[in-house]
Amino acid sequence: MSNLTTSLHAKHLELKAKMAPFAGFEMPIQYTSVKEEVIAVRENVGVFDVSHMGEFFVEGPDAHKFVDHIMTNDFSGAGALKAVYSPLCRDNGTVIDDLIAYKLGDERVLICVNAANIEKDWNWISSKTEGFNVSLKNDSDNWSLLAVQGPKTEEVLRSLELLDSDEFPYYSIKETNLNSEHIILARTGYTGEDGFEIFCNHEFVEQLWDRLLEKNVTPCGLAARDVLRLEVCYPLYGHEIHDEVTPLDSALKWTVKMSKQNFIGKAALENYSPKFKLAKIILDKGIPREGYVVENEAGEAIGHVTSGTMSVVLGKGIALAHINHAIDLKQTKLFVNIRNRKYEAERTTKAFVSGGHK
Amino acid sequence: MANTPEELKYTKEHEWIKVDGDIATVGITDFAQESLGDIVFVELPEIDTDLDKESPFGVVESIKSVSDLYTPLSGTIVEANQELVDQPELCNQAPYDSWMIKIKIKNTDELSELLDAPAYLEVCANQE
Repeated sequence: MSNLTTSLHAKHLELKAKMAPFAGFEMPIQYTSVKEEVIAVRENVGVFDVSHMGEFFVEGPDAHKFVDHIMTNDFSGAGALKAVYSPLCRDNGTVIDDLIAYKLGDERVLICVNAANIEKDWNWISSKTEGFNVSLKNDSDNWSLLAVQGPKTEEVLRSLELLDSDEFPYYSIKETNLNSEHIILARTGYTGEDGFEIFCNHEFVEQLWDRLLEKNVTPCGLAARDVLRLEVCYPLYGHEIHDEVTPLDSALKWTVKMSKQNFIGKAALENYSPKFKLAKIILDKGIPREGYVVENEAGEAIGHVTSGTMSVVLGKGIALAHINHAIDLKQTKLFVNIRNRKYEAERTTKAFVSGGHK
Repeated sequence: MANTPEELKYTKEHEWIKVDGDIATVGITDFAQESLGDIVFVELPEIDTDLDKESPFGVVESIKSVSDLYTPLSGTIVEANQELVDQPELCNQAPYDSWMIKIKIKNTDELSELLDAPAYLEVCANQE
């Protein structure tokens, strides 16, 4: 089966991006250099084509109640025009996906999901509507999505008249028209920096991309996106969270709101004994990679790296690792086994890099 | 088009080899550094290690990838370029100055199996 492409495919090829298959799409991995692209987002502004991601719309009198029911985080309690990040769990508490739900109106919600999970999520969510007065639509094929990220994003979007002078708080959303094109603007992202995600149609996205590049916004690929999210310790589906673990195994307790009356997975999560703790580790030498074994001083395997890379900001190897829950991290020195050599790891409790988001 | 000096020999694993008497100097090609992107880590073997042709002698890592390095000739490692361990980015900046190892050649018959520049360019063309 050949890969799908986004509406900007020809533009990526024109820019000589390195392309690779990702979640069934041929996507730009990098344009010039991962390092330059990461720095552009940390210090200036970059744009990512993330049109492969999925968009579901939930409409009807019970739209808020339904979305609150399927997610572990609190959606009902969020204000109008706010966005909420949440895991999507099974009845046994394991993670189907993570998503952002956007409260567009009293009876209208947009859910944005990972590209690789569109079908799985759709099958799950659409099977859970019994008892709720809602209608669902998988509208993924009709939307393009750009993530414009970095401290200068607001300035650039103002100069393009995408933003006016009204207040636009972090994790909020607005539906608007630009030259009579319907777009959804959200102050969300996956880099830790201030930025916006812009949902629009496939024709308009080409214009928007060109206008952003004319303003010297740096095109950034998925490789830079992964480094950026890992530097600020955002989990990634398929790595820190997946079908075999719950949010409680991956430092996502803050997204599981036991005070809610009921939600899918609540009973299981209330009684769940986590298998893992998520550790943030830095190596002075060597680069930890996914799957590498984490050992204690005696050389016993006590966990594994779930995501690892060279941090562009720190110039050191960084990783998130699942460590057996019984291990007392305060009392245990951690080592990463890289090609049968032990590299001592420093554990940190804060994110490796503190992003500048509002 | 990647820079591919005429006077060097190559392997299909994207290494260049400069032969001087019984010593072979080995590095990675311009094509290799360009495909890898920003090189951030280089691991090289201990001196005096004996290696058979095509066995791994080290590792080069970009931000997102790990690649093994394979010795193009059987022999003994007589030098490893520690400068690259401290400054891996030199592999990107000047791939043909950034030699990685020097091997004392064990079997000169193996030299005939190395590729010349035009043959190597063909390998690259098929991978673009």
